[in-house]
Amino acid sequence: MSSTLTEPGASIKKVQCTYCDGMIDVSLRAMSIFCPHCKKRLILEDFKIDSYYAVREFSTCGDVVVEKKGHVVAPIKAGNLTVKGKVQGHVTARGRVQIKKTGWFKGELEAPCLVIEVGAVFDGFVRIGAAPSAT
Amino acid sequence: MADSNQDFPTTLGADAVFKGQLHFEKGVRLLGKFEGEITSEGQLVIAEGATLTGDVKAGTVRVDGQVKGNVNAATKVQLSASARLEGDLQTQRLEVAEGAMLVGRCVVGTNGQTKPAVDIKPVSRSAEFVSVNRPKSSEPAQAGIKK
Repeated sequence: MSSTLTEPGASIKKVQCTYCDGMIDVSLRAMSIFCPHCKKRLILEDFKIDSYYAVREFSTCGDVVVEKKGHVVAPIKAGNLTVKGKVQGHVTARGRVQIKKTGWFKGELEAPCLVIEVGAVFDGFVRIGAAPSAT
Repeated sequence: MADSNQDFPTTLGADAVFKGQLHFEKGVRLLGKFEGEITSEGQLVIAEGATLTGDVKAGTVRVDGQVKGNVNAATKVQLSASARLEGDLQTQRLEVAEGAMLVGRCVVGTNGQTKPAVDIKPVSRSAEFVSVNRPKSSEPAQAGIKK
């Protein structure tokens, strides 16, 4: 499951807004757009972080990879997230979250799928898969 | 074979409803409903369709069914695609299959410590400016410190 759907040979891909969950058709070459539904600006690029990176909000429809030397302190919204370094913050992913063996995570995590490799450190509240029943 | 009778000498059947405390040493396969506390050093398997309400402390826990309660496993916790776990989880190793549901606080691989193995040193104020370079062709963007 990913926020980005691309048909082979097409110059347009479908992305899901990280704020309103609306589906949007965008060009493959687009790097950012304004959501036609909620009018918020969306980043479409993939990111690779290999140093200390602290921001108030880190949001992209693409994938995020935190490398071994990377340390992100921020609320993250992303498609897929791969953690090889350190991540602190509230993470909302539309796709797969992978904590590699060198990864360290502390915070809250919401994602449809989680993979934690042997040796990784994970400490936080998780919400994986479907929402819990009301009872 | 992991599911052999030797590994799981005890099986709580699909029509069994058990309330109370359970302690075992080798392995237990739960097929029915269980309410209470399970303590063990062996392996616990909560099969698909089984329901466990209460706290679990075991060596290895495999969940195919439904668990409502805290799980503390010394070695490993496996959640299959049909698993539903609502509660806190503490273990050394966690495997979550796609489709599994997990809601709760989760501590994995810390040996009970919540601090990172390597201390994180704060970066000096002058080095806090972060630049995000645009990707070249199909390469993903790089975010790095610019000194």
